[in-house]
Amino acid sequence: MDTLRIRDAQDVEDAVRAAIASEQPLEIVGHGSRRLIGQPMATNAVLELSALNAVTAYEPNELIITVEAGAPLADVQSLIDSKNQQFAFEPMDTSVLLGVSGAGTIGGMIGAGLAGPRRIRAGGARDHLLGAHAVSGFGDSFKTGGRVVKNVTGYDLCKLLAGSWGTLAVMTEVTLKVMPKPESERTLVLRGLDDIAAVRAMTAALGSPYDVSGAAHLPNSAFRAAAGAFSGLGAPGQAVTLLRLEGIAASAADRGHSLGKTLAPFGAVEILQDATSAAVWSSIRDVLPFAADGALGAWPVWRIVCPPAAGGALGQQLARDTGGDVIYDWAGGLIWAALPPRPDAQAALVRQRVEAAGGHAMLVRASELVRRNVDVFHPQSAGVAALSERVRSSFDPKNILNRGRLLRAVAP
Amino acid sequence: MAIMMPASDQAVLDRRDAIVAALRAIVPGEGVIDSAAEMIPYESDGLMAYRQPPMVVVLPDTTEQVSRVLKYCGEQGIKVVPRGSGTSLSGGALPLADGVLLGLGKFKRIREIDFDNRVVVTEPGVTNLAISQAVAHAGFYYAPDPSSQIACSIGGNVAENSGGVHCLKYGMTTNNVLGCEIVLMSGEILRIGGKSAENAGYDLMGIITGSEGLLGVITEITVRILQKPETARALMVGFAEVEAAGECVARIIGAGIIPGGMEMMDKPAIHAAEAFVHAGYPLDVEALLIIELDGPGVEVDELIRRVEAIAQGCGSTTCQISTSEAERNLFWAGRKAAFPAVGRISPDYLCMDGTIPRGALPKALARIRDLSAKYDLRVANVFHAGDGNLHPLILYDANQPGEMERAEAFGADILRCCVELGGVLTGEHGVGIEKRDLMPEMFSEIDLNQQQRLKCAFDAQGLLNPGKVFPTLHRCAELGRVHVHGGKLAFPELPRF
Repeated sequence: MDTLRIRDAQDVEDAVRAAIASEQPLEIVGHGSRRLIGQPMATNAVLELSALNAVTAYEPNELIITVEAGAPLADVQSLIDSKNQQFAFEPMDTSVLLGVSGAGTIGGMIGAGLAGPRRIRAGGARDHLLGAHAVSGFGDSFKTGGRVVKNVTGYDLCKLLAGSWGTLAVMTEVTLKVMPKPESERTLVLRGLDDIAAVRAMTAALGSPYDVSGAAHLPNSAFRAAAGAFSGLGAPGQAVTLLRLEGIAASAADRGHSLGKTLAPFGAVEILQDATSAAVWSSIRDVLPFAADGALGAWPVWRIVCPPAAGGALGQQLARDTGGDVIYDWAGGLIWAALPPRPDAQAALVRQRVEAAGGHAMLVRASELVRRNVDVFHPQSAGVAALSERVRSSFDPKNILNRGRLLRAVAP
Repeated sequence: MAIMMPASDQAVLDRRDAIVAALRAIVPGEGVIDSAAEMIPYESDGLMAYRQPPMVVVLPDTTEQVSRVLKYCGEQGIKVVPRGSGTSLSGGALPLADGVLLGLGKFKRIREIDFDNRVVVTEPGVTNLAISQAVAHAGFYYAPDPSSQIACSIGGNVAENSGGVHCLKYGMTTNNVLGCEIVLMSGEILRIGGKSAENAGYDLMGIITGSEGLLGVITEITVRILQKPETARALMVGFAEVEAAGECVARIIGAGIIPGGMEMMDKPAIHAAEAFVHAGYPLDVEALLIIELDGPGVEVDELIRRVEAIAQGCGSTTCQISTSEAERNLFWAGRKAAFPAVGRISPDYLCMDGTIPRGALPKALARIRDLSAKYDLRVANVFHAGDGNLHPLILYDANQPGEMERAEAFGADILRCCVELGGVLTGEHGVGIEKRDLMPEMFSEIDLNQQQRLKCAFDAQGLLNPGKVFPTLHRCAELGRVHVHGGKLAFPELPRF
């Protein structure tokens, strides 16, 4: 398969136009760190964007950064970190789960749109993408959005690009919102709760005015599976429920005190401070208990998004019925489930349970063979599926970009 | 009327009686209004310089009725203009002479309050403020707070992606809605998203939000609610120079402080507001900042200290810090009444709505001053300074021949200046008809074509709210055509591996 290494944005346009003319679908790749996610694609060439890696403009006082899509996420994160800023949605580093190296590119991060624990407070990638330049499947370079936070000029195509897995357009440059890093953080730890009680505790915390920026629960089995990664939490022995508070030190301490009282019915709280707390949350963000090089590394992993209060019962039921293991983020609204390997990744059962709870499930990690046989992305109602296909087609009528990544090809 | 609307379809107008009868069969009783006198309240929205009676007004009260009305209109090739409370400042709900005005005012019920999932499921005709009021007893509120929140509907907020004073910290409508029920022009009823943080597949909720009623008619919305911050306190800081106030805004953000709200007024706005509400604003300053910090008491106290120090470092000439809720509300009273206050000192005014990078504030103000001299019209400036959203109020008298046209030309120049300074045409009021013809200042034809293709995915006949947002209408078939450029290998020089 050809790999076309793009040198500049013009190359992207030329390559897409040539692909349209020759009807040869393209796989859009930055560093390729998320290539293992999605249905196996029906593409004939790879469009590689890693040379589009410049930081066009970083304006800390405007809280924005404009970068080319192929810029390495890690480099951009250290750049903004040097000004004490961050991407508030805590983009997930999928390499831990997938067993590949590197956190990939900015374009890949937005195309995947996988946000971390702070999503409950700060939103997702879609909330932080302010503007983009991209090449559509018409072979046209277009722009959308702008370089300011407050903007309602025209349709907000950024929302569609985030999480579209490269199926609508090839982003060449994006403007993202950056936010000040909190001066301090602390995590309240509750021990020994079952999943349902844990979600109740997290619901109480999120329903408080204490501005909780992370709410996760590790059942004991998941804690054991990744004990090393959670060294700050002590030796596994009991499940842990974690609630993060961020802000100026006096405020985080004050809220921690108040939240501890709110949570008193759930047990005594322990406190983790700054670096220890941060390490725990990055492990949750990257789903370390199910790391590719860990004990459950060979198990398929589902990412389930559901109404948060329903999460405890759903996760508990799934773990029991599948013999799998789960961890909870977003106060129960995000469940990661690693299930014992099966050719169908137990998709029918998972989806039936998840839909009953009002959620949806994506198969983030599975072998190529499994991904060929299973809908990786959650099937939608007929009407929404048809509308989504019309939306896709409005960007890429010839299905040139990442063909087949979102929808399973049904055998004729 | 300076803005051209799509030509009326005489064939549709000729069938008016039959159309009214067909609509009555779908929406019985008083739900169909066709008398000229009773349609007067629907002739205009918040952009009152423009008026147009619709062909007929329909006020359905069920999703099924909305679906049948749209299906009928779709089949008959009849244009439809959706309307919430009619508070749009950009003419988003301006009727069409040959169109059905579809009012959602009867969708007034909050369907579900779910504190555990921190969401409210509501019908679109419920006002923004009513949502906050419905959950206030449990300490919750709905964060986006457009100034019209007493009157504006949540459906209209979704259509316009409304902002407000607090969106610097809490986001706009798009950051606070999770799902909806939407009826397409075909009559098809779809559910998008729900109580989960994200919906599956493409972010259709994200594209529906801010689509200005061109993609579908929303009949139910799920919004996020938040716990009210423990406390809020405000500083009112005066500056002898606008530049110093702009610098103060930049330094506060630069110091990592995101206030709940950060508003700026210039001298004419300060004077108008003070004369109206007597909030105790200093009258000898060129710019006034109102900075609100919210959160836990200890945090707010600390941030107040930091902001005060920053303001002093920028040469503030006055600084008052609220010590009670009454005082905080008084600081805000003048700002919140700024529009009516300006209405008292001028027979008419135009409210503009561009956004610029924060750092360009002083430059933008200087340009607006020059333009004010050029057009010989007064201007008062009110800004959401924290996010660079300008609301220059252009004062004019519609009874003076030519003044309205001059005011509009002045406004257009301000928006062009915003784009030139790296900003955008509209921060929160929407494009509507008001800024429609300025869209090419910001977007190329290719950019606009891509947006219109998306419209085609929802409404292939272009019957829903035509004449808004896009300066030129194209047929979907024409937009969907792929032009094949060049031969098979247009990039032979590209490195391959």
